[in-house]
Amino acid sequence: MHRKIFWLSIFALLPVLISAQTTSSRDEAASSLSVQEKEIAEQRQTIRQLVTEMKELKGRLAALEAKQPASTQTASSEEAAKLSETAATTTLSSPGSPASPTMAQTQPLENAPFHLARGIQFQGFGALTYRASDVKPAEAPLLGLKAGSSGNFSIGDVDLFLTSHINPKMMVLAEIVFSEGDSQQFETDVERMLLKYDANDYLKMSFGRYHTATSYYNSVFHHGNWLQTAVDRPLIVEFADHGGLLPSQAVGASATGAIPSGSLGLNYNLEYGTGDTVRPLINQPNPPEIDEKNGNHVSAGLFLKPDWLPGLDVGGNLYHDRLNPEGTPLHISQTIGSLHAVYTTPRFEFLSEGFFLRHTLQGTSQTFNTPAFYALISHKLGTQWRPYFRYQYVNASSSSPLYSDVSLRHGPSAGIRYDFNDYLALKTQYDRTYRRNLPSFNEVLAQMAFRF
Amino acid sequence: MTNVYCKRAAFSIAMLVVMVCCVPAQDTKSFKDSDIAVIVNPSNPVDSISSTELRKIFSGQKQSWAGGMPVELFVRAPGARERDVLLNQVLRMSESEYKAFWVKKLYSGESQREPLALFSNGMQLEAVRAEKGGIALLSLQDLHQGVKVLKINGRLPGTPGYNLQ
Repeated sequence: MHRKIFWLSIFALLPVLISAQTTSSRDEAASSLSVQEKEIAEQRQTIRQLVTEMKELKGRLAALEAKQPASTQTASSEEAAKLSETAATTTLSSPGSPASPTMAQTQPLENAPFHLARGIQFQGFGALTYRASDVKPAEAPLLGLKAGSSGNFSIGDVDLFLTSHINPKMMVLAEIVFSEGDSQQFETDVERMLLKYDANDYLKMSFGRYHTATSYYNSVFHHGNWLQTAVDRPLIVEFADHGGLLPSQAVGASATGAIPSGSLGLNYNLEYGTGDTVRPLINQPNPPEIDEKNGNHVSAGLFLKPDWLPGLDVGGNLYHDRLNPEGTPLHISQTIGSLHAVYTTPRFEFLSEGFFLRHTLQGTSQTFNTPAFYALISHKLGTQWRPYFRYQYVNASSSSPLYSDVSLRHGPSAGIRYDFNDYLALKTQYDRTYRRNLPSFNEVLAQMAFRF
Repeated sequence: MTNVYCKRAAFSIAMLVVMVCCVPAQDTKSFKDSDIAVIVNPSNPVDSISSTELRKIFSGQKQSWAGGMPVELFVRAPGARERDVLLNQVLRMSESEYKAFWVKKLYSGESQREPLALFSNGMQLEAVRAEKGGIALLSLQDLHQGVKVLKINGRLPGTPGYNLQ
């Protein structure tokens, strides 16, 4: 009787188990195909990784064997003690993954830290630009674009970016630009040459020739056309030797770093150096240049990069120096205030900067104010297309001793960027520029911008 | 005698129920093993960081540890799971966007060096052991001695609520 009860209970439970098994079998059958495919893909991936690792390990083994006598001789007792201490440290080990004393006791391959690649590392940026313009009268030939030509090709700036690490906290950074002038001749310019020392997150110092912090654009994009979304820079932040209004370069010292402010992400920058701004007048086909003969400048800025909105950068900068433009008896006090609000994510970009340039003739009360701004918005569509829109505005006094050639200029730009791959971008852009007492003009630009 | 059979039947049922319940328990275990640990050199005084700090470190925004020791970033080469976790969960960008991001970072002078891409987890372990400021993401199942595992938002990998997987 009791045996019957036992077997009955087993039979009663059987359907439950069978149904559970059937359900799982059904699920398994449904997902078996995708699981198999995944497994095959994973196995392939694993094999590929193993082959890569094996090749890498072979190379490292060969390197180790080649260096063994030297490293054995140079290994100090202190290093050995430290390494054994490191090997003894076990903070967490998961079950099934036993500690590997062989690996733990492996010595560093070189005495130099992993990251310290000796020698100079090169990167380059270049572009081929076509510009068609209906501007009349003809304006200055800049960046290889000819005055009076309705359309022509130019190379513009060929940019070599060099870095070399001296030790984990110190490096040299250089940016050498071959800039195309009229008649396809190139001038060499050391745009940046900096000895950088990063003491910690709160103090990072640079000594040498730098791009001033007068604008966010100047601090981030430098001469790399590939880096910026648009074909060209807004006029206000264009480099001075290309007709821009701001003192874009100086030689001296600068410091930047974080200010303890929690999630607010407050940062500072300070600069003290000697500028020497030379800018061509942009409204003439054969433009003379104004050498501003700048004195030493001082510049200070604050900006926020809050933790709660990664990609947001809001801040401002104040720059001051004195000018004595060559060939004039003028002594001018120059103060430039700027504010920026930038929000960038991998897909979205919003740049906006406002400027207020104030020039006071010393010995008189005469003052010339030049307000300016630009804003650019772009959004990536899919993985390769990025349409953008920009508006820029500069309003210099027609009687300004420095910017009479600029006067009032404003207008929209619209374009699209297509990232062919990680190294090549194709851009097209349409500009319309309105001017005070001069006819408006249109420009169409196309550019292949690349890095190498 | 009756009680003995009843007890046997009840025991058999209980065992079967336990066996059925064991299946999801095994799944949970493998799920935890898939966690990605954040490892640093044992000499690093830091024991715990927030996910925001982790993002700031791997995006080059925070470049030194307490005491001024430079952060040395090690990442896996493309194709590895640790790299996918870094891009999708920590930085939230694609492979292409990641490359462009670091080109900009270096070119602007904001960062002295880009993360060193390594081909295996063994190399990552070796690098973090060798570099005092080293930090890397490592699959929990590949974890070995000689490195320190950081808590992220107060949680260690393999524990409930840990979100790097």
